[in-house]
Amino acid sequence: MLTTIERIVFVVLALTSVGFTIHGIKTIVDSVRKGRSAPEVKNIPASLVKAGIAVLFQRTIFRTRKILSTIHLGLFFGLITYAFVNLVDILEGFIPGFDLVYGGKHPAFPFLNSGIINTFNLIADVMSGALLFSVTVFLVRRFIVKDKQLTYRENILLNPKVKAGGQNKDSLIVGTFVILHVAARLMGQAFRLTDGADAFTPIASFLNGIFGASQTGVHVAWWVSLCWVLYILPYITRSKHTHFTVGPVNLGLAKQNPRGQLDPAVPAGVRATRTSPIPEPGAKFLHDLSWKRILDSYACVQCNRCQEVCPANFYGRPLSPSALEVNKRYLIKEATFGSHPERLLLPLTETVISAEAVWACTTCHACVSICPVGNEPMADIIDIRRRLIIDGAEIDSGVQNALQSLATNGNWMNKGKRLRGRWAKELEFPVKNASEEQVDYLWFVGDTASFDERVVPNTKIVARIFNEAGLDFGIMYQNESNAGNDVRRVGEEGLFEQLVEQNMGAFGKAQFKKIVTTDPHSFNTLKNEYPQFGGKFDVTHYTSVLVKLFDEGKLTVKNKLSNYQVTFHDPCYLGRYNGEFTAPRKLLEMVGVKFNEMPRNCETSFCCGAGGGQIWNGKVAPGERPAENRIKEALTTFDKNPSDKKLLFIVTCPKDMIMYSDAVKTTGKEGKIEVRDLIQLIAEAVGLEMPLEAEAVASAA
Amino acid sequence: MNIVVAIKHIPSIADDLPVKGNNVDFDSVDFVLNEFDEQSIEQAVLVKEATGGTVTVVGVDMIGELDGVLHLALAKGADKAVKITGDDPAADSHQQAKWLAEAIKGMSPNIVFAGVQASNDLDGQIGPMIAAHLDMPYIGGVSSVEVAGDTATVNKEFAGGFGAKYAVSLPMVVGVQASTKPPRYAPISKVRQVAQTATIEKVAPSGESSARLTMKKMAPPVVTGHAEMFTGSSKEVAAKIVDLLKSKGLA
Ligand SMILES: Cc1cc2nc3c(=O)[nH]c(=O)nc-3n(C[C@@H](O)[C@H](O)[C@H](O)COP(=O)(O)OP(=O)(O)OC[C@H]3O[C@@H](n4cnc5c(N)ncnc54)[C@H](O)[C@@H]3O)c2cc1C
Ligand code: SF4
Ligand code: SF4
Repeated sequence: MLTTIERIVFVVLALTSVGFTIHGIKTIVDSVRKGRSAPEVKNIPASLVKAGIAVLFQRTIFRTRKILSTIHLGLFFGLITYAFVNLVDILEGFIPGFDLVYGGKHPAFPFLNSGIINTFNLIADVMSGALLFSVTVFLVRRFIVKDKQLTYRENILLNPKVKAGGQNKDSLIVGTFVILHVAARLMGQAFRLTDGADAFTPIASFLNGIFGASQTGVHVAWWVSLCWVLYILPYITRSKHTHFTVGPVNLGLAKQNPRGQLDPAVPAGVRATRTSPIPEPGAKFLHDLSWKRILDSYACVQCNRCQEVCPANFYGRPLSPSALEVNKRYLIKEATFGSHPERLLLPLTETVISAEAVWACTTCHACVSICPVGNEPMADIIDIRRRLIIDGAEIDSGVQNALQSLATNGNWMNKGKRLRGRWAKELEFPVKNASEEQVDYLWFVGDTASFDERVVPNTKIVARIFNEAGLDFGIMYQNESNAGNDVRRVGEEGLFEQLVEQNMGAFGKAQFKKIVTTDPHSFNTLKNEYPQFGGKFDVTHYTSVLVKLFDEGKLTVKNKLSNYQVTFHDPCYLGRYNGEFTAPRKLLEMVGVKFNEMPRNCETSFCCGAGGGQIWNGKVAPGERPAENRIKEALTTFDKNPSDKKLLFIVTCPKDMIMYSDAVKTTGKEGKIEVRDLIQLIAEAVGLEMPLEAEAVASAA
Repeated sequence: MNIVVAIKHIPSIADDLPVKGNNVDFDSVDFVLNEFDEQSIEQAVLVKEATGGTVTVVGVDMIGELDGVLHLALAKGADKAVKITGDDPAADSHQQAKWLAEAIKGMSPNIVFAGVQASNDLDGQIGPMIAAHLDMPYIGGVSSVEVAGDTATVNKEFAGGFGAKYAVSLPMVVGVQASTKPPRYAPISKVRQVAQTATIEKVAPSGESSARLTMKKMAPPVVTGHAEMFTGSSKEVAAKIVDLLKSKGLA
């Protein structure tokens, strides 16, 4: 179709475009390679294929925003179709006699029968329409409706270019490209139809009805459509649309270790130097992050799904996981394609995320779980904390007190070690000391359940139930230290290691078959992180132990609790982190309560706001707290299922007991809804006989 | 600028204090840094950061466990650690002040920091006595120190919330109540790294221990009855209180 001169011009343009594109790709590869090492990704081809399939079915984006995700299908499959369409168009330009429109005989290409050609044309035509429709919807969403989901709150640190609307510019350029490119291609198809409408190209036929056929038109449209492609290819390597290709790759290289296992604070290969006698943990500058975290920024769709589910963001804190990724991306762009390489030498807390935001993260994992391309903004945040801690940055006084107490007392409550098992001495029966006698189950109690007077009554009930069921269990009394889950997530890796050593020492002296925990946080680190320190134990949460005891007939439901209507809050570290959603629900079913699921449940459960050291904070920020919002969610759920039963909010985490009891008070919902630990329901259902501590008061008087 | 900080380790009161014989059972109690000394270490490091110099921490090792707090001080920014191998839990304040002054004299200090008091003996006299031995001015109850040339500007707090600003000519001894900024956190990796690499200079105490105070007896607080906590809703609690008052014939 093309003349010789046209061919030369096109080849020159194409080579230029490919040159700039390769330069763009090389810049990405170079930036990513500057990052520190990450845990090895095993079996890369297989996981890439798996990710490819997930992307093909768009599985990860459908985790939320179902309607927009459906519209995104048009974009996704449209662009894939257009990759083929462009290829065919180029072939047509260069190979005389090759065209796919007329369905005629192609002596040179016998395999191209009219069936293939018609199918191809139909798909291309329909997908053109789908592309135009979806791009228009997304442009309208961004520029006319101005969807709030695409914006950031005022108090969030943003790269100046982002603040000035860099993302909008990107979207506008790529959106306009898609529209003009597709329009040009459609017009080209319309101009070809010298015989009038073709049933296999409905849209082109419609346009043909208006504009008629024109050989010059075909020629011009060919050039317009493909020149756009040559322009956009290198542009994409410099825009947020790198996610087209990096997204799926990133998903394929995503974390393979358990969710609950943080990457090491000091990546493999990082050593001590004369200026830093301690090998530097975590990240101060961009290239202290692992290469994966840098790749994350290229993969980021900038969809803000993560921001939407972030409890800290909800609470009005200056934290947005997506802003973190976007800022990283713009920081690199300024350094590589812009004129600000020196900004890479600024601390991340000045360029990417404010220190206040770093300290606001609850490490709930919601952002990581929801991300369609496998990004881990939370991992960046923890790495930044790790370095801030080692560099002696100022930290919240409450957090500091907790850490100091953990260092000296092994608990965060400034209580002496010997007081840890005091609650057990107040029971009607002896609780074995697992450090001295053999037990089946070593119960790792945790700080809150051992010391907090609001939780200790429930701890005692757990002991009584275990005792009632004849479970052979014991605790380690003063030999137990805090397991260190939240210490590690605050970024105090050294203290975490110290606590692990203390507990490993204690485990070494104890004799047991399994570990049972009442605290999901301890559960998580014992299960997922202690193995890295040689502690390979069979760790379970008390809810699964209870299910087992019921199944074995060692506990039986004597009273059905049909007078209660309950909902259940999945603790982050039990549910989202460790996938235990069924045991608590099974127990609720067994005890016969009326159960209503809140809209945000299981994988999308909303964090109570206590994790990652937030419960230690001395300062309480203003605004509606996540726990308060959750209580309202529960009440709305009950409103939709009205009954005259007593309303209960059921938890299975000592920290939840504190957070939600408090939230019921601060929202003024006392008397409407009550927070209870699941164990309290179990006690009532099995008819556990308990000495009533209130009765002691009466007798003393 | 040579800055010296006298620090002390004292029994932790996070636990019930075990008493053995006529004193605390030193073997079954954890030792921690005196909380006012945390403040004075911070104040010393802040002065060093502002004016340059070195911070030396010094303490009397009364039960052979001082290294822990010296390492902590080094991790918080002190440069050198010295321990006086007193090894005598019964040494009184006069004795310790003498040992400390003797050791500090050789360091030609510009400022000596001490905590305003230590919560184990509640004497508050070590700082003043060191000042007396070294013939330096003493100022206690201090809440901030700034140094310019040969003079320090010192804030001191009085009862009732009054504060005063003093100019003190160096060298001087300061009893710190609170540092200008809250004490920084010492990351455990740093403390552990210091513990592995730091050298602590040992100084023998000058002269024999000659304590003139002898502790005759130490007794834990006597429990005289116990409080009952009423639980339940406010109505229930109120009813219980009324019942109690009635049963005692008070209502
Ligand atoms: C002005 C004033 C106001 C007071 N106000 C109150 C009050 O409001 N409430 C209250 O409860 N008490 C108060 N006290 C405490 C008072 O009751 C005590 O007599 C006394 O201050 C307690 O001192 P101490 O025994 O801890 O002192 P010391 O044991 O003499 O310790 C003081 C400091 O000397 C250094 N030091 C001591 N021993 C060593 C060692 N072996 N090695 C290295 N360094 C060492 C440390 O820096 C230590 O912090 C006040 C005291 C004073 C002087
Ligand atoms: S882990 Fe949770 S709190 Fe932290 S950034 Fe992600 S969503 Fe927000
Ligand atoms: S990190 Fe993931 S969820 Fe967040 S904006 Fe980027 S792509 Fe979306």
